[in-house]
Amino acid sequence: MVKRFIALVLVLAVGGLFAVLLATYAPDAELNQTARYYAQRTAQDLGAANIVTAIIVTYRGLDTLGEVTVLFLAATIVGLVLSQGGQSGTPARGRVPVGELLTTGSRYLAPLILLLGVYVFVNGHLTPGGGFQGGAIIASGTLLLLLADPLRRFGHRLIAAVESVAGVVYVLIGLLGLILAGGFLDNRILPTGALGALFSAGAIPLIYVLIGLKVGAEVSSMLVSLAETDAETREEA
Amino acid sequence: MPGIAQLAMATGFLLILIGFYGALTRRNLLRMIVAFTVAGTGVNVVIVSIGYMHGRTAPILDATLAASDAAARIIDPLPQALVLTAIVIGVGITALMLAYALRLYSQKRTLDIGRFTELKG
Amino acid sequence: MSGVDGLLLSPLLILATGLGAAFLLGLLHPRQSGVAYGLTLVALAWMAWIPARWLWAFVLQGAAPVEILTAGTPPPFAINLRFGLPEAALTLLVNLTGLLSAIHLKDVLLNQGRRAMAVLLVAVMALGGIILTRDMFNLFVFLELAVISTAGLVLLSDTHRPGLALGAGFKYLVVSQFISVFLLVGIIFAYHATGTLNIDGMAEAGLANVAALAFFLMFIAVVSELKPFPANGWALDIYESAPPAFSALFSAATGAAVLYAADKLLLIGGDAWLPMATAIGIVTFIAANLLALPQTHDRRLLGYSSVAQTGLVLMVLGQRDILGEATPFIAFGLLVSHAVAKAGLYWLSGLVQERRLTDWAALGRRPLLVFAFATFMAMLTGLPPFPGFYAKWELVHHLAGADRLVLLALVLLGALIEAGYLFRWFGYLLKREAPGGETAPCTPHKLVPVLAALAAGWALAWLWGDLFGRVNLLLALPLLFALAFLLLDWLPAWIKNTLAIAGLVAYFIMTWGEYDPMRLIFAIIFLIGGALTLLASYHAHGRRIGFYPAAMLMYAGMVMLIQATSAFEFFAAWELLTVGSYFLILRGKASEPHALSYILFSLGGAFLILAGFAIAAAAVPRLDLAATGALQLDLASLAQVAAPAAPWVFLLLAIGFMTKTAAIGVHIWLPGAHAEAETDVSPMVSGILLKAGLYGLMVLLLAMGKQQLHGVELTHALLWVAALTALLGNLMAVFQEDAKRLLAYSSIGQMGYAMFGLALMNHLGWLMALVFVINHYIYKSMLFLAVGGVAKRTGTREMYRMGGLIRLMPLSFIAVLIGIIALSGVPPLSGFGGRWIFYNAIMDSETRLPIVVLFLAGPVAFLYLFRLIYTIFLGQLKDELRRVKEAPFWIVLPQMIYVALLLVFALVPGLALRQVDAYLDRFFPDGGLRWEGGQITSQYGYWDPIAIMIVVGVIFTTLFLWLLFVNRRAQMVKQFNIVFSAERPYRPETTHFAWNFFAPYRKALGFLTQPLATNFWGAVTDLLHTAGDLGRRLYDGNGQTYAFHLLAFVIIAFFIGMGA
Repeated sequence: MVKRFIALVLVLAVGGLFAVLLATYAPDAELNQTARYYAQRTAQDLGAANIVTAIIVTYRGLDTLGEVTVLFLAATIVGLVLSQGGQSGTPARGRVPVGELLTTGSRYLAPLILLLGVYVFVNGHLTPGGGFQGGAIIASGTLLLLLADPLRRFGHRLIAAVESVAGVVYVLIGLLGLILAGGFLDNRILPTGALGALFSAGAIPLIYVLIGLKVGAEVSSMLVSLAETDAETREEA
Repeated sequence: MPGIAQLAMATGFLLILIGFYGALTRRNLLRMIVAFTVAGTGVNVVIVSIGYMHGRTAPILDATLAASDAAARIIDPLPQALVLTAIVIGVGITALMLAYALRLYSQKRTLDIGRFTELKG
Repeated sequence: MSGVDGLLLSPLLILATGLGAAFLLGLLHPRQSGVAYGLTLVALAWMAWIPARWLWAFVLQGAAPVEILTAGTPPPFAINLRFGLPEAALTLLVNLTGLLSAIHLKDVLLNQGRRAMAVLLVAVMALGGIILTRDMFNLFVFLELAVISTAGLVLLSDTHRPGLALGAGFKYLVVSQFISVFLLVGIIFAYHATGTLNIDGMAEAGLANVAALAFFLMFIAVVSELKPFPANGWALDIYESAPPAFSALFSAATGAAVLYAADKLLLIGGDAWLPMATAIGIVTFIAANLLALPQTHDRRLLGYSSVAQTGLVLMVLGQRDILGEATPFIAFGLLVSHAVAKAGLYWLSGLVQERRLTDWAALGRRPLLVFAFATFMAMLTGLPPFPGFYAKWELVHHLAGADRLVLLALVLLGALIEAGYLFRWFGYLLKREAPGGETAPCTPHKLVPVLAALAAGWALAWLWGDLFGRVNLLLALPLLFALAFLLLDWLPAWIKNTLAIAGLVAYFIMTWGEYDPMRLIFAIIFLIGGALTLLASYHAHGRRIGFYPAAMLMYAGMVMLIQATSAFEFFAAWELLTVGSYFLILRGKASEPHALSYILFSLGGAFLILAGFAIAAAAVPRLDLAATGALQLDLASLAQVAAPAAPWVFLLLAIGFMTKTAAIGVHIWLPGAHAEAETDVSPMVSGILLKAGLYGLMVLLLAMGKQQLHGVELTHALLWVAALTALLGNLMAVFQEDAKRLLAYSSIGQMGYAMFGLALMNHLGWLMALVFVINHYIYKSMLFLAVGGVAKRTGTREMYRMGGLIRLMPLSFIAVLIGIIALSGVPPLSGFGGRWIFYNAIMDSETRLPIVVLFLAGPVAFLYLFRLIYTIFLGQLKDELRRVKEAPFWIVLPQMIYVALLLVFALVPGLALRQVDAYLDRFFPDGGLRWEGGQITSQYGYWDPIAIMIVVGVIFTTLFLWLLFVNRRAQMVKQFNIVFSAERPYRPETTHFAWNFFAPYRKALGFLTQPLATNFWGAVTDLLHTAGDLGRRLYDGNGQTYAFHLLAFVIIAFFIGMGA
């Protein structure tokens, strides 16, 4: 009870800080200097139609590389944490098998989901969406398969290989920017092309494809690790 | 008169506070993790609301939005980029916490955070 | 050349290499651990080489800092990085720590496979990113990467209970979630306020003024990553449960990187936010050290110490407004000391199997590792010649210069507490029994990082001395000579002894022309006297590891002390001699607690001296601040210290010096330290080392003379302290059973006499003090050697267990006899000369009351001196001592030399004193002595040593012959002849005539020897421990509690910060 009261007091105090922020907040009428630069220069400099994508992949590409690394780390550590507990056990028995409908349905759906994911990240520089969104969609395909058949085992090697190759190539492309263009992760190592075309915006689509693959692989790997451990944990229980 | 940005921001702050309160009072690891995702969502809402500008459009150039008048018509694209990063980082940490919780559970058969206090003082 | 060319050396590659290698590891087969490990090491080595190469370019080739753009777009529109001198130094520190930790973690990494290696690589890369980036949001991303990789690396724990690490990691994640919410909200509002995410842009836009709350949120979030008190429970759990190599990284590298991040934020915040950084830093420094005090778990203790050191550096950053251009020198000095030492200690802890502090005794028999530990300990406590010492000196001087005395006091207090637990630990390491007597396993990959840290520590010591610009201690010949013995420690003891003696004598011959007569006396005692005392060390066999470096360090410090002309040199020498003597004292069998109390009192005293010098430097009127170098204070210019500060300076320095001379109240360390020391060490620390304190007092009194504080004349107060010291020291000596303790207490009394002479502030008083300096050296060295020799032969130091040794140890008897005659001040020996001058001196003085007290002390001395000769050498021989032989040759030889010296000094005191007498005329023109032939005349009378010697000799011979004549028929009664007595006593010791010898006096005067000082200091220690224990209750181990702490911390900081 005391604990809740203190928690309430603390949270209200933090709320007080936030209230000050809210009360003094005045929305901008015009874009600030940074945003204006992006609005005016993105198209001519980088050739990307989706300004947000240009920011993510190029202007703030280092953040994004870090972001990908966060997922990479999380997936790696999840694997590490979960593998520490014990060896991958034998599949749990005695479960109610999932229905035919679900199994078959998911088998049809999975490739479509994969395709959608690819579409989303390939068009990231033109339309809403991009590597992360596409990657997440791909991973949702994995999730569907896992939900439909919890005992299904995925090839860790394949996932790891996709992840690694995508990551290494991403870093190399970044370094190419250092050599061929204006700096690390500069997308203008490839021609920027015509605004709005699929093959435009320099290396942005390429990077987004890599990100999409990498994110998809990473999130899938996390899901797979969690699922496998979950199976073991149940077994031990 | 508070605009939609303020409304969204207030919602975001409220979500953060709810998340904080939950994380401080729920002893169950999983509930704590859920509380954190609520707070994280709140932060994301706040970030997005900062970039919002009334009456403007999404920062994607196409047939209806020429590069020349983009500066006058789009909302601030930067918070949108930031929020993506924030979301992804949030996902990473949530996954990590879940894995930790799972492993902690398999060791002690409990999810009560008050039970993992061997290290102290 | 303006930079380092070549893509492969681009600073960006520090990040790209780490990331690329981490990704690449995934391509390897899980079973190719060896390949993966090799790749990891190569990547880390490359990441360390790049900043090393740049550092070279920055420092030696004058390269300019580089701005690194990404995306080919200028900031603030794209993320930019900066690589200058601080960035290069910090990334080098981080990446080297990473590399060495990877080497240390070899077993675990190979076992856990490539995933663990990838996490390690990313962790190191992320820290580099934190250092390099100039973008606020990018900083957040790298911070999160660091947090996540930390949570992963904690799991590589090698403890028997991996669950602990799991719990710690989860708590860390919980807290870091709160932190990142604050950081993100702060960043987005800062962006809104300034329209930029660039750190320099935010600073330019004056963010802290436009949107103070947004800045506060960012600032407090970054500071929270520095584990401020009390929001740091999670960090300690990590330190305790993580593998030591990771803790090394977490403490040294993460600490350094996040501190630099905090520094960037302070750049945005400007001067208005410095007080908050200062407050958080100093509170953390004090509290964490206090909490470390009751710790018994080694890694947790190191964790607290890490937190404390980080707090200290944060405080330094917060003092930028007064430190100005000195900030990097101080902050980096403290930071690298902390980082290298802490990493070294964590790596070292990998060589210890169990986790209690006392288990470190396992390292005690490995000289190299002991040396490493001592080095790390000295670095952490800021002892010379390490960077922390220079940094501490500068910091304290700047604080004093800006009149921030409370902060100054807190810094020194915290440092003293830290020294307390570190030196206590060192005592365990050397003096405790290793469990099962086994030493820890020592595989090369666990040893290499420790040795690398050791080498780095000494290299940094040289570098900081060089950067300091005035005196590089590592170029001082005496210190180098002492350090050379570290390399020669494999030689047999007798060779080293010969070298040491030769060195001392040679240095005296080299330098004797430099000293004025007063200093010459000290030089003779320190160098020639030291050499003489070392003769006794020929007795030791084997290699006697560690003795000579310690002893020579002490001598080096002492000789540097009298050669010092500036306050800095003086203080450095003071600390060197303190540390050297500590190591020496610690060598005694049962000296662990006494050595600890010695070093703590000495360091406490040293800190007072430091504060005194700093305040003095600030108070010396200066015409041109810039030209003279603000902080260089000559010892001579102490005389110019202006009025309001002067008495305080005097007080601080006087108390500081008096801790070394063991004045009453701060004397409690002396008896144990001197008594428990080895036989040949006791004379060094008693006969020689105590004089350092007197020398300090002399320098002080000569420069500052009489000072008034609130109407009290401070020299008058000193007179009282001296008189009481003499009386109580003697009185406590009376009631000792242990012969060496008796001598030790007697030293307290003797120092009281010498201080009294100085405090008289007249010509003869000073002359008397110098006579005491010489006399005390000779007879106390002699007595300690004699009693030590007896103790060695009889196996006990309790006097009542001895008796009747006169026939078995005649030479020792002669030494003690001569010694006590000299000490008691009866004619004809030199003690009488001292008394004679003393009586003349007090005739000159107008203060009567303390003199009465001092007079009382005289007869008391007779009581204990009588006992010394009577109980040890006269009376009946104990049964078990019938076969005792004379003390070993090398212990007797110096005693006989001392006997000769005493006689010579008694006959012709003018040899030593005449020059000094003339020299003292400069300071005290009146009341000098006249020296004519063998006769010495004062205004009250004359003294002819030779005549006295003849008179006393004649009387003694006559009486002796008469005694022989009278007793010619006496019957010798054998010891077990019970014809003349009744029966055998039941408990021999209770009826023994030597036990509790002065019981009647104890009834009368015992109240004066109540251990008031001991009780007082005991209570202080208990209080500190209790405070530490209470503080520990904050950390109940629950992750939620830690989250409470964090929120409370943020809110309190807000209200205090915004209120101020």
